[in-house]
Amino acid sequence: MIETRGLSKIYSRGLYALQDLNLSVAKGEFVFLTGPSGAGKSTLLRLLLMQDRPTDGEIAVNGHDLSTLKRREIQEYRRGIGFVFQDFKLIPTRTVLENISFVSEVLGVPPAQQRRRAFQVLKWVGLQHRMNAFPHDLSGGEQQRIAIARALVNDPPLLLADEPTGNLDPDLSLEIMNLLREVNAGGTTVLVATHDRELIRLVGRRTITLEQGRIAEVA
Amino acid sequence: MRALDYAFRQGWKSLVRARTSTLFAVVAIALALIVLGTLLLVTWNVQRALARVTTAAEFSVFLKDDATSEQRGAIEAAIEQSGVSAGHEYVSKAAARTRFRSQSAEIASLVDGLEANPFPASLEVRVLPQAEADGRAPALVRRIATLPGVDDVRYDREFLAALGAGVRTISAVGLALVTIMALAAAVTVAAVVRLGLQARHDEIAIMELVGAPLTFIRGPFVAEGLLQGGIGAILALLTLIGGYLAAQAWWGAALTQAFDGAVLEFLPVRLCLLLLAGGMVVGSAGGFVASRHAGFTSVTWR
Repeated sequence: MIETRGLSKIYSRGLYALQDLNLSVAKGEFVFLTGPSGAGKSTLLRLLLMQDRPTDGEIAVNGHDLSTLKRREIQEYRRGIGFVFQDFKLIPTRTVLENISFVSEVLGVPPAQQRRRAFQVLKWVGLQHRMNAFPHDLSGGEQQRIAIARALVNDPPLLLADEPTGNLDPDLSLEIMNLLREVNAGGTTVLVATHDRELIRLVGRRTITLEQGRIAEVA
Repeated sequence: MRALDYAFRQGWKSLVRARTSTLFAVVAIALALIVLGTLLLVTWNVQRALARVTTAAEFSVFLKDDATSEQRGAIEAAIEQSGVSAGHEYVSKAAARTRFRSQSAEIASLVDGLEANPFPASLEVRVLPQAEADGRAPALVRRIATLPGVDDVRYDREFLAALGAGVRTISAVGLALVTIMALAAAVTVAAVVRLGLQARHDEIAIMELVGAPLTFIRGPFVAEGLLQGGIGAILALLTLIGGYLAAQAWWGAALTQAFDGAVLEFLPVRLCLLLLAGGMVVGSAGGFVASRHAGFTSVTWR
């Protein structure tokens, strides 16, 4: 699903965010990406989301060679990726159901199908009773579950999560991880960037540790 | 179709959300179109009046009081043989006085006390339209003016030509002004739309990340500009109609008399539609310019 070869990213002042990174994530796998702050976890996710270009090396996702994608092809590529961020990134002026159906709406899905699918994923994360609430009415854990529901509404084959439990307490963090495990059980490849070692231990999946932009350990 | 529906729904929402700044953009567009519309209204009516005067073209040959019948005969022969005339009529001094009395009854008493008839006899010549167009009529006028027994020839083509040139100059200056104002309006729309873009920054970032097509991302901003332009154009048309009705009420009769019976008219429907389309084009151009980076705001390629 994800292949990188000699992947490097240098920011200004010659600082390496990633250096000669070779990694592989198989289809249907659940992989943790960990390491201290500044190790390159978020940079790798940004490269995978094509928010940034690598300085050197190759990167392929789900059959797409990202180095050859043109600007206008990025949107099509991103439709195959779900994403979850630490700060949820929900639209405050829209209800829970609208936040989810919004994704289908802007992808041109017919209205009836938008609502049906949004309700399905909302039910799946157990928040169908909050469908008319606004994000500010929800707890952090609920907001992250909504963000996961939104990421899954179009059945993407790959889900990227950048510190999805960073704003949550340990119990809620485990709840979110269990949800991501369920997503993975459905066949979706999941790549989670986190520095929460305890959580990684509890979930127990393959873990790639980055340090100063290089792979330090694969466990 | 869904993209269009989405674009207009979101564009309208954004327009309502930013009412105050939208008002600036709408007024800017309306002002540009009011200037353009006034220009069109004036030139449209002047051109109609000119066309009317041109098709009813005639000239008057005023005879000297001592002109002999032979001299008058020679003048008439010159007119008939020129191929310029569609017919002519002799108006004697007495007939001219009678005509003045009937046409200007309120000042007719001024000439009643005079012993001698001050009105000259004349020949009124109707000109063929093609002779007017190919220049034979002005040539004939020049020749007749030199014939014996002719006191004066009144042919107002020069005045009409000068009027036409004046209208063309005003149109050119006005169009330059309208172009500048339209650009300013487009810049105002772009600024207002950009404000909306900032307000919806999170939403746009999410749209980019989920892979929404650019038509969905940028469409609402172009639609917002188009709606602003449309509203501005409607406002301008309503103002122009108001101005036209006021002008008609205050100066309608005087203008009709000045333009040889031509009635002041409002712009035809096709020109109104053109103004509306113009407003929409200016507005959507502003919206498009403002939104051209939307779709790549989350990308920081270095």
